Amino acid sequence: MKKLLEISLGIVTSVGGFLEVGSMTTAAQAGATFGFTLIWAILLGTICIIFLVEMAGRFAAVSGHTIADGIRERFGFNTFLWSLLATLLVNFMVMSAEIGGVAIAAELATGIGFQWWALPVSFLAWLFLWKGTFGLIEKGVAILGLVTLCFVVAAVMLKPEWRQVAAGAIPSLPEHDAASYWFIAVSILGASISPYLFMFYSSGAVEDQWDKTYLGTNRAIAGLGMSFGGTISVGVLIVAALVLGAHGISQVDDYHQLPLLLLPTFGFWGFVLFVASLAIACFGAALEIGLQQAYLVAQGFGWTWGEDRKPREDPGFCSVYTVSLLLAAMPIALGLDPLKLTIFSMAVTAASLPLTVVPFLFLLNDERYVGEHRNGVISNGAVIFIIALGFVLAMVTIPLQTFGGS
Amino acid sequence: MDLLRDLLDKQVVDRNQVKIGKVDGLVVELRRDLPPRIVAIELGSITLARRLGARPGRWMVWLVVRLGGKRHAKPHRIAWKKVRDVGVDIKVDVDVHRTTIFDWQDWLRDRVIGRIPGA
Repeated sequence: MKKLLEISLGIVTSVGGFLEVGSMTTAAQAGATFGFTLIWAILLGTICIIFLVEMAGRFAAVSGHTIADGIRERFGFNTFLWSLLATLLVNFMVMSAEIGGVAIAAELATGIGFQWWALPVSFLAWLFLWKGTFGLIEKGVAILGLVTLCFVVAAVMLKPEWRQVAAGAIPSLPEHDAASYWFIAVSILGASISPYLFMFYSSGAVEDQWDKTYLGTNRAIAGLGMSFGGTISVGVLIVAALVLGAHGISQVDDYHQLPLLLLPTFGFWGFVLFVASLAIACFGAALEIGLQQAYLVAQGFGWTWGEDRKPREDPGFCSVYTVSLLLAAMPIALGLDPLKLTIFSMAVTAASLPLTVVPFLFLLNDERYVGEHRNGVISNGAVIFIIALGFVLAMVTIPLQTFGGS
Repeated sequence: MDLLRDLLDKQVVDRNQVKIGKVDGLVVELRRDLPPRIVAIELGSITLARRLGARPGRWMVWLVVRLGGKRHAKPHRIAWKKVRDVGVDIKVDVDVHRTTIFDWQDWLRDRVIGRIPGA
């Protein structure tokens, strides 16, 4: 019974990590411009992240070490330093985009311009990290995050042609705007396969003191939780395809178009639900990325870390998230368009994948860490596939950004 | 034991299970007519910077002396005889608070973090 509760909580939690400004925006863009045809990208991204999250959790549960620990210990400082700097930079952009997402939600709710909200949002996030425990952040965000299920409800109530939806699950070539099609596909993959997600998950497993008895729980949470998150993304895509298309919006280039998504289904409450979903999903992600920045640095240099400690017990760790949150608020406070930043940072995330995924191939096959719980043929195959995908994404991102970016 | 594989960059844990850093460097003594012998492990930013090259190493020494004074001009060393266990973690028989390794964290706590309400 306790395990069951743990699994359901874990599933809900992983949705909190999965659905954030990137997956919502890219799914909405895909739906508006290309109907159901990009559903396959969400499915592919979800399958990839299931494998990576399962491995990150297994690595942490068996070895008591996180993926960041592993990269430093197994590949040495010089290699670690480059992947650290790249990940910190990508995380910084994504975190800024998340703060932007909350700021946009606040603007929609109050009419006060988004740039004024960046610092207050960032301060509130800092307060949560400063005073909160890991459990509070993990579970609080998770339970509030259930509000995003309204997209799935809306998708079903809009009665889409399910045969067309199913057809979208199979990759197809675009009929128009090929560069834009592939750019959105890349962004969707970047939004789904986020390094911060699996890195955070492995730190979370250590914070929650997982051991080998959690391997089954881990598998269930990774599989079901990520599928659940993917389903909500598909919901956003379906709603965007049906609603935005019907209103003659074929391209999402402004956040103010998005509250429209839920109006036909829920009326005024649709507006409220959209604002709440955006705010909660992005705020949760900002908290997780803030923590992840601190985990990454503390683990890489071997400092004491843990969100359940008081700040005075791990001053180095706390300083990292404090500085990160402050810096990440800056671009938004200076008026950078959160939508542009989101799309750009998702593409950069996709391009950075090889750096963080290649280590999986070594770490998950290293008996000193994972013993008999090494990767099997299927998991290794999946890692190799994701690495190959990551390299392709890294190669095509920049040209696509130039020709297909909005 | 393969020093680079089993020792370098591993997590160091002190007597009280406090994570005090990673094995950032190794100190080996070369002896005439005898095999080399490992005498200490090194921790800290100076050692790390030296791994990137001689010049970053000098810059880091300059920076650390500017910030922390002369007594931080050399990397932190833990004698090999203090090492108790070499596994996934390296356990050492040292109390980190009796060393200068955490001086900067203490400074941060006393001067910055500790002054913010709720710390």
